[in-house]
Amino acid sequence: MKSHDLIIVGAGLSGMRAALEGVKAGIDVAVVTKVHPLRSHSCAAQGGINAAINPNDDWRVHAYDTVKGSDFIGDEDAIDLMCQEAPIIIHEMDQMGTPFSRNDNGDIAQRPFGGASFDRTCYAADRTGQVLLHTLWERLVHSGTHVYEECHVFKLVLAADGHVAGLVIYDIKTGELTTLRGKAVLLATGGYGRVFLSSTNATTNTGDGMAYALRAGAPLADMEFVQFHPTGLRTSGILVTEGARGEGGYLINADGERFMGRYAPKKWELASRDVVSRAEQTEILEGRGKDGAIFLDLRHLGRDKIIDRLPQIRILAMDLEGVDPIDEPIPVRPTVHYSMGGIRTDKYGAAPVPGLFAAGEAACVSVHGANRLGGNSLLDTIVFGKITGAHASKYAKTAKLHDFPADALGEVQERVRELKARPDRGVRPAALHHEMAESMNAWCGVYREVNGITTLADKFAGWRKEYERIHLDDKSPIFNVDLLRAIELRNLLDLGECIVKGALARTESRGAHFRIDYPNRDDANWRFHTLAFWDEGGQTIRLDREAVRTVGNPEYAPQVRTY
Amino acid sequence: MSAQVYIFRIQRNMPGQVGTVQSHWQEYSVEAEPNTTILTLLEVIKGQQDGSLTFRQSCRSAICGSCAISISGRTRLACKTHVGAVARDGVVEIAPQKNQPILRDLAIDIRPFFARVHGIKPYLQEGPEKAGKVTSTAYDQVNHVTQCIMCACCYSECTMAEVNPDYIGPAALAKAFRFVSDPREGKKTERLRELSEPNGIWSCTRCTMCVDVCPKEVAPMEAIVKLRTRGLDKGYGDSAAAKHALAFHEDIVKSGQLNEFTLMMRTLGIFGSMKETAMALHLAKKGKIPSPFPHSIQGVEELRKIYASLERTPVDVETKAKQAVPE
Repeated sequence: MKSHDLIIVGAGLSGMRAALEGVKAGIDVAVVTKVHPLRSHSCAAQGGINAAINPNDDWRVHAYDTVKGSDFIGDEDAIDLMCQEAPIIIHEMDQMGTPFSRNDNGDIAQRPFGGASFDRTCYAADRTGQVLLHTLWERLVHSGTHVYEECHVFKLVLAADGHVAGLVIYDIKTGELTTLRGKAVLLATGGYGRVFLSSTNATTNTGDGMAYALRAGAPLADMEFVQFHPTGLRTSGILVTEGARGEGGYLINADGERFMGRYAPKKWELASRDVVSRAEQTEILEGRGKDGAIFLDLRHLGRDKIIDRLPQIRILAMDLEGVDPIDEPIPVRPTVHYSMGGIRTDKYGAAPVPGLFAAGEAACVSVHGANRLGGNSLLDTIVFGKITGAHASKYAKTAKLHDFPADALGEVQERVRELKARPDRGVRPAALHHEMAESMNAWCGVYREVNGITTLADKFAGWRKEYERIHLDDKSPIFNVDLLRAIELRNLLDLGECIVKGALARTESRGAHFRIDYPNRDDANWRFHTLAFWDEGGQTIRLDREAVRTVGNPEYAPQVRTY
Repeated sequence: MSAQVYIFRIQRNMPGQVGTVQSHWQEYSVEAEPNTTILTLLEVIKGQQDGSLTFRQSCRSAICGSCAISISGRTRLACKTHVGAVARDGVVEIAPQKNQPILRDLAIDIRPFFARVHGIKPYLQEGPEKAGKVTSTAYDQVNHVTQCIMCACCYSECTMAEVNPDYIGPAALAKAFRFVSDPREGKKTERLRELSEPNGIWSCTRCTMCVDVCPKEVAPMEAIVKLRTRGLDKGYGDSAAAKHALAFHEDIVKSGQLNEFTLMMRTLGIFGSMKETAMALHLAKKGKIPSPFPHSIQGVEELRKIYASLERTPVDVETKAKQAVPE
């Protein structure tokens, strides 16, 4: 049986940055990823990465902006750590070769972003994630780290004593199921955008790591906080960067009115994302939208600035909406974008299951609380990829391999065999996924209320029954995407139920979670993280709560949040 | 615009005995607006008609590079190709990428492609040529190249890769250019030496297919041409193709036209040329052997001035920017 000191799942920014720490620590580190590293969804991040690198800025101000952006439910120790590390990792990425956009004097350029009190967002035109991802991949290739490419994880396996034992992995290219033993496992599998129908996320963003951690007994935290990005393209939901507003873009309604002043009189379009998304949704609900969208207007920026700073956005708008932003406003709407919740960890990325670590969007450290600021997710991925990678490596250095349960592989083999052996009756995985995802959009969106969420929560038991009856058209061992999607669908069901139960329980409005029936923040009763556990007996989700980690900084005390 | 029915004629590939693939064509019909993307419709077919149809996809926004396939005879990203733009009489023909082994249906084995990229050492290296400070214009030269998403469209359509599987290929060479041009790279000259070896920059025939099919405007051939210039500047001009290019340059500066009589000897050398004697005799018989003493063209002085000016201040053909000094 193959084994490694540290196994990292996922080869986006967090996973690859963590792997470099393993190499540095001199341990045997391997990466498992279901897509080639360069296909990881980190590449789709456009606008930039926040860091207080300007001498007139201060990491403390960045930290305060982040605490406020989180609606005072982010863990303050982790936020302080991230913002202090930010300038260091920007310098490191620059040294590794990232082609950041520069000012005339050669310094890394920065642009304004939502919810920030300083122009703090470093960028490379409108493809910052792509260049960061390619840079870390270059370093990963240089390091010679073993990567199990196009290998899907089907199970996170614990030893009898509850310590991480390893993984059961499925080689997509051959259909072979094998076991991989590890002293520690670091999940860097990203978000779960596909729980929803309309999302900026890739089709591969199915939150696998979160779901496996949940089933292995680790808690997921704050799953009800789902970020809606204010500018997803109307038809496809594809992302249009916040950098478009950072560069001066306006949001206008169907009447041509620049409406944000009515909602955020100080910051207008650069209020935080939850505020802007709600404003847009209100405009649409009150009849001032068009075909379910409002508009991002870049025309006044002029041709040169659009082509220089937002070249990719222009092409996407032309390819996917048939609109050239030089001449016409782009139809956009709030679209599911990011998961503030994830695998609960301490500030070093350690989950409460011994030997288990998590980083990036898969984790809830929690630096984003109830609402993430634009430019803080790329930062989170690299900072906590680094920190968690270092801690997991240190842990793996002294830990031992734990006994791998004899029946773990057989159990997964049987599950795959059974899925393929089903008669061609019942629905296809795509149909069940569509029904769930559409319902999530309808009843667990920007605005939520008790009746809708309850209806939704009651549907999960039925969907789980339906899941037992889905059938696969594809029986092949080679590149069986039909099988992968069936496996991923259970993960999406698990995560969807966590989101809905969390949303139902949280009887307040905070950050991205807005309850029409409880429109105010309730610090006395709800300044807590929600924890979601898998209840094996009941085959359902059980909730608990946990206090926010504070550092005693009086400036971080909750106050009314306006922009 | 209104919805219409399109026929998707898709090449289905299933691995057979070791190393073989069994292929057949299968047709699906699907109703769509002309501006719907091919990827959206492949998902409709997979989700509603045939779950066994296999293709790679991920981001849906032309940045992850997963969904490059041959659509109506050309390799394109399925996620940014509109069905209405590629259908012929309502039919869209879809096949896997070319020049690479097939795994299943539309999914190719991406490992050989990435092995070539690994071959050019795709990472910054420490070394004596590393510059301390990055300037504001440092990336003007490489901006177009860093847009590469490694989708392999260029490799699929590369006419040299088709006949020479050892050729490094456009994507890997464009990536190499990115490092040669980066002020932080420490081993620029060593890279140029390696890239000037067989199956490298001089293997490109400049057919421009890679520039044409690239969905991200990387223009790999432009990068290859610039690598050649820089390689020659460093004295790596030993290959036949490099000598050929130098001979062209020499003739044009001197007389404004080619001396085709001596061109072959300067390209292939005396012994190399002797191997081509049969061809020379054949050409002579047809009266195709040019004069060994070509006249200078009219206005050759003007031409020399243009050359001299360009040598003093080289202009980047791609960005129209002044050449950033690679060192």
